[in-house]
Formats: sequence, C-alpha cells, structure tokens
Amino acid sequence: MKSILSALGHQTALLTFLGLFLTFAIFLGSDFTSLGNLSNVTRTLAITAPLVMGQAIVLISGGIDISVGATMAMAAALSIGLQHYGAVVSVGAAIAFGALVGAANGLLVAKAKIVAFIATVGTMSIVRGMMLVYTDEGSISNTVPGFGFWGGGSVGPIPVPFILSVSLMLVLWWLLRYFKIGREMYAVGGNKETAYLAGVAVERVQVTAFVWCGMLASVSGVLLASRLESATPQIGVNLELFSIAAAVIGGASILGGRGGAVGAFFGLAALVILTNGMNLLGITTYYQLATNAVLLIVVVVLDALRSNRAKRQSLRLSPRTVEDELTPKREPGLGGPHPL
Amino acid sequence: MVLLAGLLVVGAFVSPVFLTPNNLLNILGSSSVLGIVALGQCVLILTKKFDMSVAFMVGLSGIVAIMVQNAGVALGLSFVVGLLAGALVGLMNGIIVVATKANPFLVTLGTSTLVYALSLSITRSRTFSSPYEDFLVLGTGRLWETIHYSSVLFLTLAILLELVFRYTTIGRSLYVIGSNERVAHLSGTRVTRTVLLTFITSGVFAATAGLVMASRNGSTVANSGVGMDFDSIIVVVLGGTSLFGGRGGALRTVAGVLIFGVLNNLMVLLGFPAVAQQIVKGAVFLLVIWIDSALREDKR
Repeated sequence: MKSILSALGHQTALLTFLGLFLTFAIFLGSDFTSLGNLSNVTRTLAITAPLVMGQAIVLISGGIDISVGATMAMAAALSIGLQHYGAVVSVGAAIAFGALVGAANGLLVAKAKIVAFIATVGTMSIVRGMMLVYTDEGSISNTVPGFGFWGGGSVGPIPVPFILSVSLMLVLWWLLRYFKIGREMYAVGGNKETAYLAGVAVERVQVTAFVWCGMLASVSGVLLASRLESATPQIGVNLELFSIAAAVIGGASILGGRGGAVGAFFGLAALVILTNGMNLLGITTYYQLATNAVLLIVVVVLDALRSNRAKRQSLRLSPRTVEDELTPKREPGLGGPHPL
Repeated sequence: MVLLAGLLVVGAFVSPVFLTPNNLLNILGSSSVLGIVALGQCVLILTKKFDMSVAFMVGLSGIVAIMVQNAGVALGLSFVVGLLAGALVGLMNGIIVVATKANPFLVTLGTSTLVYALSLSITRSRTFSSPYEDFLVLGTGRLWETIHYSSVLFLTLAILLELVFRYTTIGRSLYVIGSNERVAHLSGTRVTRTVLLTFITSGVFAATAGLVMASRNGSTVANSGVGMDFDSIIVVVLGGTSLFGGRGGALRTVAGVLIFGVLNNLMVLLGFPAVAQQIVKGAVFLLVIWIDSALREDKR
C-alpha cells in the first residue's frame, strides 16, 4: 500500500489531471463531458503538447526556453506562407526554422555561456519581430486542400493531432529513457560538472536539447496553422510561461535533471482542462489570467522549496565547510584536462 | 560613452533633424519613463536579480492613481497611493524570492501577469481619465519651457541613486551581495532585509514611471508599459552594469538609456517599420549580453 502511495506521489500531473477532470465532470455535467467539448479539449491539448514536451526536454537538460511561443508563431506563418511550394516544403521549412532557432539558442547558451532565459528572451524578440514582418502584422491564410486535416481532421471520434501528439510523446519517452542522448540530458541537467567529468559532451547535449525543443515548438505551430487554416500574430503569446508551468507540474524542475515527456503531456492536460472548465463556468478573462499567474508562481515556489530540501539533505550527507562554499565553483571547460 | 558619441555622429550624418536641440530634448523626454524603470531594475541587477513585473507595474500605478482621483482623493495623495501600490507589489516579489529562494525571473514573470490581471479587473477594461488638469503637467510640461519635467525627475533620481550606491552602507552592500551572497551574509550584511528593500525600490521606481506615463496619456492604459521589462534590462546592461551582479551604477544606466533612446530615434527617423525595430532590439540585446558574458570569462 505504502509503495502504491509513494508511486502515486510522483505522478502529481496525472493526479491533478484526474482530480480536475472528475471535479468538472461532476459540477459541469454534460457541458463538460459532451463529445463535442471533450474532442475540442483533446484537440487543443494535442496541438500545444509538442511544444510543452520540448520545453520539458530543455528543462531536463538544465536550460529554459522563453522563445518557444515566438518559434511556434513563426513556424505557423511559414507553413501557411510557403504553401505555393507545396505543403511538404512549407512544413519542412517550418520545422527546419524551429531547428535553426533551437541551434541558435543552444549555441548562445552552450558556447557563449549566456544564461538560458536571458539568451532565449533575445531570440524571442528577434523571432517575434521576424514573424510580424513576415505576416505584415496581420493574419495570413492560404491553404492547399488536405492541409487542414493534420490539425483539424478526425479519425472516428479521435482528432488527428491527438494521434500525432501521443505518438510523439511515446517516441520522446523512448528516446529519453533508452537512448544515450536521453540519459545524457538528465546527467547534464543534474550536474554539468559531473556529467563532463563522466565523459558527456556537455555542449553537444545542450544544443541538441534546444534543437529538439525548437523543432517541437514548430510542430505545434504547424498543427495550429493547420487547424486554423491561417496564422495570426497572436499565436503563442504567453505560451512560454504556460509551457513552463505545464512542464513543471509534469515533474520537471527549473533547476534541471528531472521530468519527462509523459509527465509534461499530463501537466498540460491538467492546465487545458482547468482553462476549459473556467471558460464553461463563465469566469472572465482577467480572473483566468490571474489564476494562471498564481499557478505559475505556486509551481515555481514549490519547485524551489523541493530543491532547497534536496540541497539540505545532500549537505547533511556530506557536511561542507565554509571554505568549500567560498571556493569558486569550477564550471565545465575550466576544470578538465582538455578545455571543451 | 564612446558608443553614445559614435551614435550621435552617425545620427548627425544620416538625418538633418537629428542633432537639433529640440530633437535631443525630445529623446531625453521620451526615454525618461523607461529610464526611471531602468534605474529600479539596475538596483536589482546589481544584486544579481531581476524584476519582470515592472512593465505592468507602470500600468497599475497610473490606474490606481487615476481611480483614487476619481474617487475624490487629492492629487498629491493619489501619487502616494500609486507609489504605495508599487511598494506592495515589490514587497510581494521580495518576500516570495527571499523566503523560497525561487528563481526571481520566473516569480516576477508570474507576478507580472498577476499585476496585469489586477489592472484589468480594476478598470474592467474601460478607460478612465484624470479629473485634474494639473495632473498632466508631470508628463507633458517643461521646465522653463525647455526641458521636460519627466527628464528632470529621471536625472535627479539617477544622481540620488548614484550617491546612495557610492556613499551609503546599504548602497555598498548591494555590490557585495551581487558578487557573492554567501560572503555578504558571512561578513555581516543583512542580506534578507537588503534584498527585500531592493525589490520594493524597483516597484516604487516602476510606479513613479507609471505616474509619469499616466500623466502623459491623461488616462488609464493597463499595458502602457508593455515591453519595458526586457527594455529596462537591455538599457541597464547597455550602460555597463553586469548581469552577473556586483558591477555597475546609476549613471551608467543613464548612458544606456540615452544610447537606447538615440538608437530608437534614429530608427524612426530612418523610417524603419516598428516591427523591424524589434528585431534590431533583440539583436542588440544578445550582442550586449554576449560581450558582458565574454568580459566576465576574461576576468577569471
């Protein structure tokens, strides 16, 4: 019994999701549980999920990506705007663009040693500006037949993007759990120096995480563009915070080394259901905004408290002296025999 | 400073209107709101922290002041109430950061949204105007018909802050905390109290800027400070205050504000579209921070 409870304790996201689902199902009844509403909710969830999983991957590797919303918007714009070259080219270009932004973020963080949130704020500003210039600050729409299927279509009662996102989640889970690069991401996020000393190519892992995140944000952008059959400048605004909150509810930590794709998926599911429930209850936008803000603060604070406790415990295991605290921490690239 | 002089020379070449006294005074005037926000941000950055809630704080303090004016409160008192709102939000940020050691960037991004939601819920998304004619003087008036009152306020605050940084115990301790919080604690600095105070300072400065902004608009605009969270960090770093804490100052920030203002002005005079300016800003931001990081690597 105790082991079941402690196993459940690690599934905060799943529990929150189930709790909210049941609460809304009971209080809102058929408004909430109707097939129409549920398929709407799953579709919204499925479209944002790749981006949130990307954020989770960057968090695992010890980074943070504020530029995801802007990348998603630019990817949506590219996938619509380049369609006269065919849908394959436009989607390919959108995802390549995401990879490019990710690579830029990764290099700024790994090579230029700029703190991740500061570096990605810069790229966010640039990418958002590019998107606004590209779309001329308006919405663009121009879709080839069949493009709408990927974001807007359904197979039976199940939305197509849901199938795509769940497959993506399983692939990412597999990559993170059973592949070298996946394990290295946890190692780098947990402790860069240890990872370096254990022979992990820290910079390459960091760049890879950001590239994956950029590509996943682009997938979200393409799916949304396909659902709306257009791209607007409002896409992805505020999504950076939302994605961080979802990933952290899903078990990731701002300080790195924890989390996963499945958790992020359910963390997002909890937030999407919360938003949907508030909409159905007729709660005004600014109270929803306030709720999301409080949620982010609570999530960040709980995450900090959790890692403070972990730090204290490790201190107790290996008592450090004041002198230890005062010696400057060596970062990878400075301590090893071969500079990175 | 070299950069600023360079920009002024370039400006003189590319545009005939650029180097007229009136244009330069206008640059100073229009930069002063951002400048006041940046001074507050600078205090925090010295201690290696950030305040992202300043952008919507600018909106909130104006709204609070105008709403209480409409409720019949005198002009002077409404200013105090507006500043108090800033102090309270700063206190909230400070308490969360100090008590939980959470990442100040993310915490204040959260409170930023909270402040925006609060602004919207106070005005219910409607616009209110100030009942006092005199209210507009702060934002639009000029001293001796030349220099804007807002510029005078900005420069006075900058000089006061520089004096605090240089000659008071608490000012000096900011640098120690920024360099190494642990050392600061061990050498007897009251870190907790000082950090709380810096967050309150940043809130009050943003609120001051908000009053100037509201007085310039004459009415409530919840998102009047939008973008100032990032812009204020850009100008602080542009002026030569390090993001890694412990290095910088208020007068340097003034230089950063002026460079930024001149850059903006040049882009407008050269007819850059507003959205393209965002790209340039982002690029400048990354460049400056890259240099800041590189300088820090060199020092070690």
